[in-house]
Amino acid sequence: MAKRRTAFYLMTIPALLLFFAFHTYPALQGIFYSFTNWDGFSSSYDFVGFKNFVNIFQDDNVINSYMFTFKYSIVVTIFINILSLMIALGLNSKIKFKNFFRGVYFLPNILSVLIVGFIFNYLFSNVFTVWGAKLGSEFLSQNILGNANWAWVGIVIVAVWQGIAFNTILYLAGLQTIPQDLYEASSLDGASRWREFWSITFPLLAPSFTINMVLAMKGALMVFDQVVALTGGGPGRSTQSIALLIYTGGFQGGEFAYQSANAVIYFIVIVVISVLQLKFLQKREMDL
Amino acid sequence: MMRKPTNWLLTVLIALGSLLILFPLYMTISIALKNSEEMAASIFALPTGLHFENFTRAIEATNFFNAFKNSAMVTAISVVVILLTNSLVAYAIARNMNMKFFKGLYFYFISAMFIPFQIIMLPVVKVTTDLHMNNVAGLIILYIVYGLAFNVFVYVGYIRSIPYELEEAANVDGASVWGTYWKIIFPLLAPINATIGILSCLSSWNDFMLPLILLGDQNSYTLPLVQYVFQGQFGTDFNLAFASYLLALSPMVVVYLFAQKWIINGITQGAIK
Amino acid sequence: MKKGFKLIMAGLLATSLLSACGNNKASEGAAAGTVKIEFFQNKSEAKASFDKLIAKFNEANPNIKVSQVNPPDAETVLKTRVAKKDIPDVVGLGATDTFSTLAKSGLFEDFSQDPLIANIQPAYLDMLKRMTGLTEINGIPFSTNANGVIYNKAIFKELNLTIPKTWDEFIAVAQKVKDSGKNAFYLTLKDAWTTLPAFNALESNVVGLDFFKERAQGTVTFKDTYREVAEKQLKLLDYAQKDMYGKGYNDGNTAFAKGESAMYLQGVWAIPEIQKANPDIDLGVFPFPGTNDPAKNKLVSGVDTLLTVAKSSKHKEEAKKFVDFLLQPDNVKQYISEQKSFSAVTGVTQDDASVADLKESLESGNLVDFADHYIPAAMKVETIFQDFMQKKDINAYLTKLDTEWDKVANRK
Repeated sequence: MAKRRTAFYLMTIPALLLFFAFHTYPALQGIFYSFTNWDGFSSSYDFVGFKNFVNIFQDDNVINSYMFTFKYSIVVTIFINILSLMIALGLNSKIKFKNFFRGVYFLPNILSVLIVGFIFNYLFSNVFTVWGAKLGSEFLSQNILGNANWAWVGIVIVAVWQGIAFNTILYLAGLQTIPQDLYEASSLDGASRWREFWSITFPLLAPSFTINMVLAMKGALMVFDQVVALTGGGPGRSTQSIALLIYTGGFQGGEFAYQSANAVIYFIVIVVISVLQLKFLQKREMDL
Repeated sequence: MMRKPTNWLLTVLIALGSLLILFPLYMTISIALKNSEEMAASIFALPTGLHFENFTRAIEATNFFNAFKNSAMVTAISVVVILLTNSLVAYAIARNMNMKFFKGLYFYFISAMFIPFQIIMLPVVKVTTDLHMNNVAGLIILYIVYGLAFNVFVYVGYIRSIPYELEEAANVDGASVWGTYWKIIFPLLAPINATIGILSCLSSWNDFMLPLILLGDQNSYTLPLVQYVFQGQFGTDFNLAFASYLLALSPMVVVYLFAQKWIINGITQGAIK
Repeated sequence: MKKGFKLIMAGLLATSLLSACGNNKASEGAAAGTVKIEFFQNKSEAKASFDKLIAKFNEANPNIKVSQVNPPDAETVLKTRVAKKDIPDVVGLGATDTFSTLAKSGLFEDFSQDPLIANIQPAYLDMLKRMTGLTEINGIPFSTNANGVIYNKAIFKELNLTIPKTWDEFIAVAQKVKDSGKNAFYLTLKDAWTTLPAFNALESNVVGLDFFKERAQGTVTFKDTYREVAEKQLKLLDYAQKDMYGKGYNDGNTAFAKGESAMYLQGVWAIPEIQKANPDIDLGVFPFPGTNDPAKNKLVSGVDTLLTVAKSSKHKEEAKKFVDFLLQPDNVKQYISEQKSFSAVTGVTQDDASVADLKESLESGNLVDFADHYIPAAMKVETIFQDFMQKKDINAYLTKLDTEWDKVANRK
C-alpha cells in the first residue's frame, strides 16, 4: 500500500515543483516587485511601500486601459455568444452541406490571431474604405482603426470573426445533447419555433451557455495579439488593453515595478469577475 | 418517423454567413498571388498571372522553413509530453481526492487558471534567463507546465467518471500503479486526449506572447513571431507580406483540411464531458 | 480515428527529432576555436547592410566570428538582456533614451580617450554628451540621419514652387498645392511615431532642447512654453489628405511614391522605401522650416546608429577590433550609400542626389538633435501627439504633457 502511495506522490511532486518554479514563484516575485521601484534592468532598487498602487489609481492611462478592456470584453462576449448560438442553431437544423459549413465556421479558430490581425489591418485600411466610398459614406470611407472613438469597434469585429468559431462548436455540442423527442412532443402541441427555443432549447443549453460566457469573457479580458496587430494601442492610447499596457510599460517603458503593481490589481479584478460570473450563471442554471 | 424536409432558407443564410468567414481568406490568397500592377488595377479581382515568386521571396526573406521547423518542434514535443504527463498528474489526483495533499494540489493547479499571464510575464523572463531557458527548450517546458492548470481540471473530471473496478482488478493481479495507469487508464483516455491534444496543439502553434518575451536567438523564432518581426521589413510590399502570412497559416490549414471532422469531433467530445 | 491521430503525432515527432539533430550539428561546427562576438543592433532596415560588412570582417579575421542579432522591439530586448546580465559584446543603437539610461548605469566602455573618436564629427559627440549628461563618451557615432520634408520635384516644378525657407513660406507653398487640388502633405497618423518628424523640427527650432533640462528642474512647463509648437502641429493638418488618421507609414510611403502628395514629413530613412515603391520618382529633401527666421531653422539630425562595447564583454579586444573595422571610411561609405543615411565620420559624404539639398546644413554643422530622444520613453509621447491630432484641444494637450512628465518623474 505504501508503495502505491509513493507512486502517486512521485507522479505529482515533479509537476508541483515545476509549476511552483515557473508559475507561483514568478507570481510571488511580481507581487514582491510591486512594492519596489525597480525599472527592470538596474542592479538596485528601493522599497516604496504602496506608492505604486496609489499612483495607479491616479493614472489616467491605467484607468483608460481598464475602460477599454471592459467595454471591449462585454461587447465581444455578447456578440460572440449571440452569433455563435444563432449559427449553431442553423447548423443543427435540417440544412444541406452541414459538415462543409461546420468546417468553414470552425476554420478561423485554427488560425493565428496575430496573422489574422495583420490581414484585417490591411482590409480595414484598403478594402473596407473602398466599399465605404462606393456607398458614398464619409464615415465608412475612412479607416475605422484610425479613429480614436471607433477603433475599438474594429478590434471587436476581428475578435468576433475569429471567436465565434470555438463557441459555435461548443453550442453545437450542447444542442446535440438535447433529446429529439422533446421537440417532437412540442411540435405536436403546435408550439411556435420561437417558444420552442425559449422553453426547451435555451434552458437545456444552460451549461453550454455558462461555459461559453466564461470562456469568451476570459479570452477578451486578456486581449493582446489583436491589439498589437491592428492598432498597437492607438490612436493615442484609445485601444490600449491592460495586457498591452503591462507589456509596453513593463518592458519598454522601464516601469517594471509599477506595472507589476498594475498586474496585481488586474489579478484581483479577474478573480472577482470570474467568481461573480460563475456564481451568477450557475444560479441561473439552478433556477431553470 | 417522417424525415423533415431540407430547410432551404436556413441553408442560404448559413451559406451567406460562411461567405463572411471566407472573404478575408479569399483576399489573403488573391493578394498573395498578385503583383503590384494587378493590385493597382483591382484589389478584389482574381489574380491573372499567379505570382508564385511572392512565395519564394517570402520564404527567403523570413527564413520560413527554419521558423516552420521551430514551430513544429515546439508544438509536437509539447503536445506529446502534455498528453503523457498532465494526464498522469491528473490520474494521481483523481484517485486520491480524499487525501488533503492531492485535493489541495487540485485546487492549486486549477486556481492558476485565474491568474492572468501578465502578472507572471515580467518575472518569468528573469527566471527563465537565469536558468538559461530563454530558448526553444524553455518554451516547451513552459507550455507543458502552464498546461497543467486547464488540463488537470479536464482530465480529473474525466478520470473520475471511469469506474474504479477496472483498476481494482488490476491491483488484485499485482500490477503497479504505473502499470495500471499505462495499461488501463491511458488507453481509456483516448477521447479526452484527442481534445486536449488538439487544444494544446492549436494554442502552442499559434501562441505569440510567450515566444515574444522568451526567445532571444533569432534562429529559434516561431512562425507567428517571424511574421511580427518582418512586418516592418515587408514595408510597402503587401503582396510579399500576404504571401508570407499565407505560408505561415497554411500548415495548420492543410492539417485541418484532412482532419477537420476528427478535430471538430475531438473538441465536441471534450465539451460534452 | 485513433490511427489517424497516431500517424500525425508520429510524423510531427519525426520531423522534430530530425530538426533537433540538425540544430546540434550547426552549433558544434561554430565552436571550433574561434572567438565569437555578438553584434546586437536595432535597425531592421540595416540588417542586410551589416551582414555584408560582417561577412567582410569575418573573412579578414578568421579567428573572430561576428554574428548579428537584430530582434524586433530591439530596445526592449536589450533592456531585458541587461536585466539578465547578458549584454551583447558590441551594441549598435540609436542615441535614444534607452541608450542614455543604459549608459548612465555604467554598462558601456568609455571611449573618451579612444583614438577612434578623433575622426568623428564633434557636433555628434556633443549631442551624445548633452543627452547622457556624462563626461564619458559611451558610444561612438557611426551613422546619422535627418528629419525633414521630402518633396516631389515634379509637382514642385509643375506648380512653380520653390523650397521654403521660413514657416510662412512653407505654409504658403502648402496652400498653393492645396489650391491646385492636390494634397500638400500625406500624413500617416495611424502610426503614432510618424508624428515625431514634424514635432522634432518644431520643438528644437521654436523652443530648443534646453527646455527639457529646465523642465526636469521644474522651472518651466509645457503649458507656458509649447503653445506655438502645438498650434503649428495642428496647422499642418489643414493641408493633408483625406483619411489621414487611417493611414500608416507603409501606406504613406506608397502614396507619396505614387505622387499623391507634394510633400511628406519624414526622415531620410523613408527614401529607400519610397524608391522601392516607385524607382522613377524624382524627390528631394529640405530642412523643415519651423520659424520665420531662416537662420534659426536648423536641420534635425541625430545619431542613427552608435557603436559601443559592453564593459562585461569577455572579448573586448576583438569587439573593439570589429568597431574599428566598421568605422573605416570605406565601410562607412558602403553602409551609408545603401542606407541613404549620413556619416558621423568626417570626410565621408553622402552623394545621393535626393539628399543634395541637405548638404549645406550638414556641412555647416547647422544641426540640432532629435527632441523626442530627450523625453522619457515611459511617457510614450508619440501617443500623446497622436491623440492631440484627433482631439485638437491645445489646452488639454499641454496639460497632458505636463502631468505625464510629472507622473513618470514621480515614479523614480
